[in-house]
Amino acid sequence: MKFICERESIIKEISISHEIISERNTLSILSNVLLENTDNTLSIRATDLKVSFVSRIPVETVTPGSTTVLCDKLLGVLRSLPEGEISFDVQEDRMVISPVRQKKINFRLRCIDARDYPEFKSPGKESFTIAQKTFVEMIDQTIFAVSDDETRYYMNGVYMEPSEQGMTMVSTDGRRLSYISRNVERGVPVFQPIIIPTKFLNLIRKLSSKEGEISLGISDSYLFAEFDAHHLSSTLIEGQFPNYRRVIPDEHEFSCVMSTKDINEALKRVSLLIDHHSKKLFMDINADSIVFSSEESEIGNAKEEISCSYTGEPVRMYMNFSYLMSPVRVMESEQVSINFTDPAKAVTVRPVPEIDYFHVIMPMQS
Amino acid sequence: MNPVIFHVDMDAFFSSVEQLDNPSLAGKPVIVGGRVEERGVVSACSYEARAFGVHSAMPMFQAKKLCPMGIFVPGRMKRYQEVSREVMAIFREFAPSVQPISIDEAFLDMTGTGRIYGTPQEAALVLKQRVEGEIGLKMSVGIGTSKYIAKLASDFRKPDGLWEVPPGGETDFIDQFTVRSLWGIGDKTAERLRLLGLTEPKQVRSLSRESLMRTIGRSLGSFLHDVCRGIDPGIFALRESSQSISCEETFSRDISDPWEVSCRLLSLAHQVIFRSLDEQVLGRTVFVKYKLTDFRSFTAQTSRETPFMSAEEIHSQARELLRSRWNGDPPLRLVGVGISSLSPAGEQVQGELFEDPYGKKRAVEEAVHRLKRRGSSLAKATSLLERYDKRRK
Repeated sequence: MKFICERESIIKEISISHEIISERNTLSILSNVLLENTDNTLSIRATDLKVSFVSRIPVETVTPGSTTVLCDKLLGVLRSLPEGEISFDVQEDRMVISPVRQKKINFRLRCIDARDYPEFKSPGKESFTIAQKTFVEMIDQTIFAVSDDETRYYMNGVYMEPSEQGMTMVSTDGRRLSYISRNVERGVPVFQPIIIPTKFLNLIRKLSSKEGEISLGISDSYLFAEFDAHHLSSTLIEGQFPNYRRVIPDEHEFSCVMSTKDINEALKRVSLLIDHHSKKLFMDINADSIVFSSEESEIGNAKEEISCSYTGEPVRMYMNFSYLMSPVRVMESEQVSINFTDPAKAVTVRPVPEIDYFHVIMPMQS
Repeated sequence: MNPVIFHVDMDAFFSSVEQLDNPSLAGKPVIVGGRVEERGVVSACSYEARAFGVHSAMPMFQAKKLCPMGIFVPGRMKRYQEVSREVMAIFREFAPSVQPISIDEAFLDMTGTGRIYGTPQEAALVLKQRVEGEIGLKMSVGIGTSKYIAKLASDFRKPDGLWEVPPGGETDFIDQFTVRSLWGIGDKTAERLRLLGLTEPKQVRSLSRESLMRTIGRSLGSFLHDVCRGIDPGIFALRESSQSISCEETFSRDISDPWEVSCRLLSLAHQVIFRSLDEQVLGRTVFVKYKLTDFRSFTAQTSRETPFMSAEEIHSQARELLRSRWNGDPPLRLVGVGISSLSPAGEQVQGELFEDPYGKKRAVEEAVHRLKRRGSSLAKATSLLERYDKRRK
């Protein structure tokens, strides 16, 4: 097989493939990327057996065919070459790569036959489409709260279920929880709730143009996503997601409202001096101000006061700073509210005015 | 009130336990250690064997050469741990505060016990008699106003020793040592100090802390300055908190059944959690170590943000680490489990949204641990093991 294409158009897809392919795998062919070239289209496939990726780019097909090459080296070669057209020519078991205009440069990478490459799952019949922008926003609001604790594998992904007017996504690590339920105009068919691995969601977030639609399909413990020129699939996490509704507080007695920009900047500064082991942030909420501070340590401490509106008694709360920082960082509203009843019980952080997402955080005890 | 610290060191602990369990070995040169053909080293030897020049960490073949009539026995770590627990239980009953620092050594804070036990020497004598009477082992006790002095004192008249350094007598006591023989000074350091003309504590005392720190480095300078004045440099306060806690087991026969290995891992995880409860720490990293039949040895570890709370949690993580690396072939001769990235247990104050699945298990383990400390022979939260055994059938 032989094809010619622009360095710029292939390098992005190969670098995504490189991210999917896991470094540690036992089958050498899984370190390879599959290239299929017909009718002036190159389809690029990569998999770690859990997440699979297919992308198509336009090329000039000289002779059709398919092969696989070591992805890591292919990426390295492409990065090293000058901009412009590159020719890829398979001769026996070697792929000869050289710039069209500089024949002096010549790489020969060993190929493995494409027939040995694992088969790809094909999407089921059931699928639905939503705006890419909507899906990416839902990922943004939830992905950071996923647990990295392998012993709680059922929390290692984002939970997704259909709702009355759309769908809901929830994530938790057992200490904080993020929730978003978005209406989908055309509606979403009823499906069994699923738990989606973060690797897959991160990939979608990275690849998405946030324009147009994404089509999602679920079948046999696989999730398929198609958007732009990409086709992705992923195994789902099996297991029982915890009953999250039980831990969402019904209502709170007190609410403290502040500017999103103020709290973001204050947390960014105060976090510099928070002990990265205990992660403990102090919050002193008063009638018209909230003071964020770090614990006094050998290095020193930090304190910042921002204005807020609050009507209860002065109260002190302790919190893992990252549990507060990560949700407020992704809030787009001008103001946010921290809602609570008891400084030792679950706190809810919401955008003001309220929309379709919120974050629940369990504080630390003194 | 002056602090009264005991440092208690069991005499030739492993070999004494062997002599205790087998009276025919009494008075004979007993050498505990690995097998010659397995390139073993001496892990302990009786005073009778020491007379031949045998010492711990010496290769076994060399010990055999020096002491051909020696009685060579393989170590029985479980038995030593059992005896150690009995001894520590007596200490805990006797002293208000006990800090074990190894299997056969502990610091006892006896400050303020004068009305109960009389003078420190009288108290030490009672303790020595109790341990000898109830367990049958001899030990050496050092008494001082600090851990460092007590540690030096227990070594001063070994075996079966009892030495008290009275308050105010610390410098005089230190002056009976050379710099080389002070605890915490190794061969290389001693050589460096010798070149600077510092061999006696008195010579060190003539220098200020600042000039010592300038010439031999900050930490060593400060350490030496304190030690030569009989001031505790706080070295055992630091030692109190381990960097990691681990347990390992060499199987009597190699094991290839992953299930059996998993059961051993659970038992080791229990030992780890009990020790972590002793030290009041929690770990955020779990590691496993395994050795194949061919002696190749591997380790793997995983860390997370929140500490591992219970033996079962440590076990499931350790099993996972091993499962992804070993599938039964070749067989294993050793496995070990441990925790690191330790932090004080009290710091765990992050609230949980859901009922913590491991919280109850930890409560059970804490209860078993309390019973063990009171001398119960409960080895582990056995209900867990039963469940595993049942599933296996």
